[in-house]
Parts: sequence; structure tokens; C-alpha cells
Amino acid sequence: MSETQNITYGQALGQAYREEMLRDENVYLMGEDVGRWGSLYRASTGLLEEFGPERVKDAPLSEAAIAGCAVGSAAMGMRPIAEIMYIDFISIAMDQIVNHAAKWHQLSNGKVKVPLVIRTQGGAGRRNSSQHSQSLENWFVNIPGLIVVMPSSPYDIKGLLKSSIRNDNPVIFIEHKSLYFEKEEVPTEEYLIPLGKANVKREGEDVTIVATSWMVKFAMEAAGQLAQEGISCEVIDPRTIWPLDKETIVKSVNKTKRCIVVTEAPAEGGWSGEVASVVGEQCFKILEKPVKRNTGMRTGIPYGPVHELKAIPSAETIVRDVKEILK
Amino acid sequence: MNKEELLEYYQKMLYLRLFDDLSRNLKMKDIVWSGYHPYPGQEAVAAGAISQLRKEDCLLGNHRSHGHAVAKGSSVRVVLTEMMGRQTGVSGGLGGAMQFIHAENNVFCGSIVGSGIPIAAGMGLAFKQKGTDNIAMSIFGDGACNTGAFHEGLNLAAIWKLPVVYILENNQYAEAMPVDEFVACSPLSKRARAYDLEEITVDGNNVEAVHDAAKKAIEKARKGGGPSLIEALTYRTRGHYIGDPEHTYRTKEEVAEWKEKCPIKQCKEKLIGMGVSESVLDELRVSIKKELKEDEAWAIEQPFATFEQATSNVWIPLPDYK
Repeated sequence: MSETQNITYGQALGQAYREEMLRDENVYLMGEDVGRWGSLYRASTGLLEEFGPERVKDAPLSEAAIAGCAVGSAAMGMRPIAEIMYIDFISIAMDQIVNHAAKWHQLSNGKVKVPLVIRTQGGAGRRNSSQHSQSLENWFVNIPGLIVVMPSSPYDIKGLLKSSIRNDNPVIFIEHKSLYFEKEEVPTEEYLIPLGKANVKREGEDVTIVATSWMVKFAMEAAGQLAQEGISCEVIDPRTIWPLDKETIVKSVNKTKRCIVVTEAPAEGGWSGEVASVVGEQCFKILEKPVKRNTGMRTGIPYGPVHELKAIPSAETIVRDVKEILK
Repeated sequence: MNKEELLEYYQKMLYLRLFDDLSRNLKMKDIVWSGYHPYPGQEAVAAGAISQLRKEDCLLGNHRSHGHAVAKGSSVRVVLTEMMGRQTGVSGGLGGAMQFIHAENNVFCGSIVGSGIPIAAGMGLAFKQKGTDNIAMSIFGDGACNTGAFHEGLNLAAIWKLPVVYILENNQYAEAMPVDEFVACSPLSKRARAYDLEEITVDGNNVEAVHDAAKKAIEKARKGGGPSLIEALTYRTRGHYIGDPEHTYRTKEEVAEWKEKCPIKQCKEKLIGMGVSESVLDELRVSIKKELKEDEAWAIEQPFATFEQATSNVWIPLPDYK
């Protein structure tokens, strides 16, 4: 057995940063308070001291400049990790991401690469109301040219960030603000997690639950509770929501014949519908029930600890949905 | 400039004018397909500033950049065939007249106004980090000055002292809206003060003035002195696009007045004053026209990009992890 360490999601992220910065001198960080503060959730603590201000750059509150600077420097051979502190602020940077980062490889006839990572965090759970709690991943899934990653655990965030930094495409790397202090055993040895490959978090026979980010935790809790009642759930975390590992999902649903998709983002026009369509298209004949979606409500995330959690899925509602789909 | 140098810049400007005449004509015949934004009247800016760049330097252009790209050293053939959707175009015919990338010559043009401004800062940052003395130049119009990208990008370049030269090609109108209606200050270069940069406004129809200001800014950037913003006052003597309703925003008299101040005309008069004979200048025009005619004949023969080509390179496929 290789050695492990018990670390948080935020610490795992910091280790990925450090390892990649040591490995490749073109990797640099840029964003609001990534230096002095070590970023909002302390993921880059100590890196300013270790690597200096040329490679750990505190940037002004200018998301368009942060993203544009990342595009330009990536095209000229750097590997920027640009942090957008809250995904809600990414609206200011959308032009650079959508019209430039995502387009330049194609527009240059395959000659220019834009190997940047936009690191950001979304979701509810920290009582921040509607402009600091959104789940906006669906926007990026709809833009050809982007890779969209949503890590759900300390182990995943480290391996996925390292792979994202080494990837030559622009990557939108969306963390969850309620996961930074989650802990788990992570290998001390270096490892990478391939992009575009789903993770079967828990094997089961009766129903497939596809969940992303923080929702993976709730899906696992629900599966644990249901197991005590003799219901066997298979939980799949796609890890990379685009490109989507359809194969793993379809294989699972072919076994369980039932599928629930759980996302914090609202259902309408979103990725949860994409997964439901894939399952509908490829498993139609064997499905026992229509695909079910358990998603965030179509609402701005309400303020405070009580209301905000009611607006998004929970272990309780996942248990309810599993029981319904098994009826 | 001495006579020989000025003649060289005259030739560059005339080349851009005649190239625009040619490609505009192809637009009228629907051989160039996309929106086409004519460049006549503004040639002194591209010739004076952009032609001083090295191949390794980056140029960030806009939707009106066919002349900019040629001034940077991209050949007429690869720019023209790009606008015609041919495989030989700089982007393989995938971009058209408003957005294209000539990777080999470091030319990046896009049709989102102002967006190149922060990107240029990023390119400058890469050059600085890698320890080269290459620079990025971003050229944009007066309309771009009201985008967030302008302020965010200029500020970033200024605080990080990045090797970038910003050329504000003030042609007096953002599409149909006159500059004094959409910017409170005059001259526009006053905005440089907000970023602790020198206020530089030059006569953008005087190729020597543009050249000298750009030369100074380029040298400063190469030596680590940080960015500059140069406002070049000029005028687009044709519509924003071909067939725009010009009468809705300007008079024929105004256009005629500016045509009198044509940068090529002014340069020609100066050259004649310096003792260059008119026949030499006429011969120059004839030889450029002949060359461009050959380029056009070549361009028409080039194959179109196929649909498969046009839709490839969307992304770089993930490695096979097996």
C-alpha cells in the first residue's frame, strides 16, 4: 500500500498547484487575492513566498483582464491558472472565455493552443444568497472548445487539476465552496486523474444516480441510507461534465434500468437534461421508468442557512426519488 | 524621415490602399463574403506603427484588420484568400474578413470590439516572463475605448509594466456614432492619465508622426519601460461597412474635407517637394497594381475550405488514457 495523507479539498488543491509549478516553470497563478491571502479558501497559501510575485500574481478586480491576460499568455506558451473568485463573477469574463479562449484553436486552423485553466467555485451552502451561490456550469457545456471539470473530493481535485493544467485546451475548473474543508485520504505519491472519465463512486444494482460536485456527497449519503433498507444504488460522478463519459453512464443504466440525475444547477436548458437525453436515446428500450431529475430550483439562491438548502437537492430528496423510481 | 525612408512608407500606404480597393471590389462581387470594413483613409496608422513590428511581436487587431495584417508582414495572398474562404487563407478560410489568426506571423484579429486589449497584456506578460524583448501591439478604434476591456486591460498593462503598445485608431466614428457624443473627454488620449501613462495624440494622417510616436513606444516597451497608448487622429473615408447609410451620420462635405487630408496624398506632396518625380510615384502605383492583379488571379484559383476542414480543430482531443 502506498502512503496516504488526510487532507482537505483546499489542501489537495494547493498541493496540485505546487507540484505543477515545480514541474513546469510556465505554470503561474493569477487572480484576486491568490497571493497574500492564498486565495479565498487558502488553496494557494505559501505559494507567494515559495514562488514569488511573478508566478503568484494578485490581480485587480478585473475579471475581463484576468481572463484576457490568461488567453494572451497561454497563446504565447505560458500555462496560466486564472482564478475567478466566485463563478458568479465569471459573467464579466465571458467574452474572453467564449469568444477567444474557446475559439482560437479552431480559428487558427489548429495552430494556436490556449492551454489555460480558469479555476472558480460555485454553489450554495455558505449563506451568500443569489449573487455568490450560483451553479453556472451549464453555460460552459454549451460552448464548443471548452472542457468543464467539477471535482467532488480531495482526491479528485488534486488529480483533476494536475491533468487540467497539462491539457492543451481551455479548461473551466469549477470547485464547490462547501467542499473546501472536506477531508479524505489522498496518496502522498503523485497521481493524475484522466479528464473525460467518470468515476463509479459506488457500485449497485437497482438504480443509477449520476451526480456532480457537492451533490455527489448527498448521493453517497442517500445510497448509504438506502442500503440499510436493502436498496442498492450505483453512484456515478462524471468528474468532467464535458466531454461526457457517456459510456460509463450507459453501461450502468443498462444494468440498473433506472436513472436519476442530480445537479445543483436548475434543470431547464441544462446538463442534467443532456444526461437524461443520452440515457433516453441509448437505453430507451430497457428503461423501467423515465429518467428522473433532482435539481436546484429555478430560483435565485435564497439567503440564509435554512432557505438555501431547501432550494437544492439533499440526501433526503434523493432517497425520496430513488424510492419513487423503484415503485 | 529622409526621402528614401518616406518613399518606403509611401509605398506601404499605397499598397494598403490598392489592396483595399481590390478586396472591396471582390466584396461587391460577393467573392469576399462576410461583413467588410473598408480601411481607406487610415493607412498611415497601419503603415506607420504596425510595420515596425518584428515577426515575433504580436499584433491584436479587430474587425477592420486586413490592412493591419498586411502591414505586419502577412502576404496579401494569405489575407485575401482568408477573406474569400479559401484553404490558403491565414485561418484556412475559417475566419473570413472579420476574425482571423495568422499564427506564423503572430497576428490575432477578432470581431469583438475591445477584446484584444487585455489579451495583448497577457502576451506582453508571457514575453516578460520568458525574458524576451518581444512586445504586443493592440490596435483598436475609438469605439473600443468605452468597453470594460479597454479600462481593465490598460490598467493591468500599466500596473504590471507590460511590454505593450496600444494604438487607438480614432477614425471619428464608432459605426455611425460620432466620437464626441460617446466620449466625454477630448482628446481621447486623456484617458491615458488614469493609468499614469503619457497623453499622446498624433496626426494619424501623417505617416511620419505615427511612425515616430510608435517607434518611441516600441523601444520603451522593449526596454521594460511598460506600455504606451497612442491616439492617432484619422478618418475613415468610406462607410463603416460597404453600403452603410452614411447620410445618416455625416455630410459629403465633411468626407470631402478629410479626403483632402488623405495620408497618401499628403505624403505624395511632401515627396514631390523633396524632389521625387511624379513619374516615379506613378510607376510605383502601376507596379503595385500589377502585382495585386497577379495576387487576385492566383487567389481566385485557390480551393475553398471544405466543411470538414471548417469544422475541425474545435478542440484538441483528450489523450487516450488506456
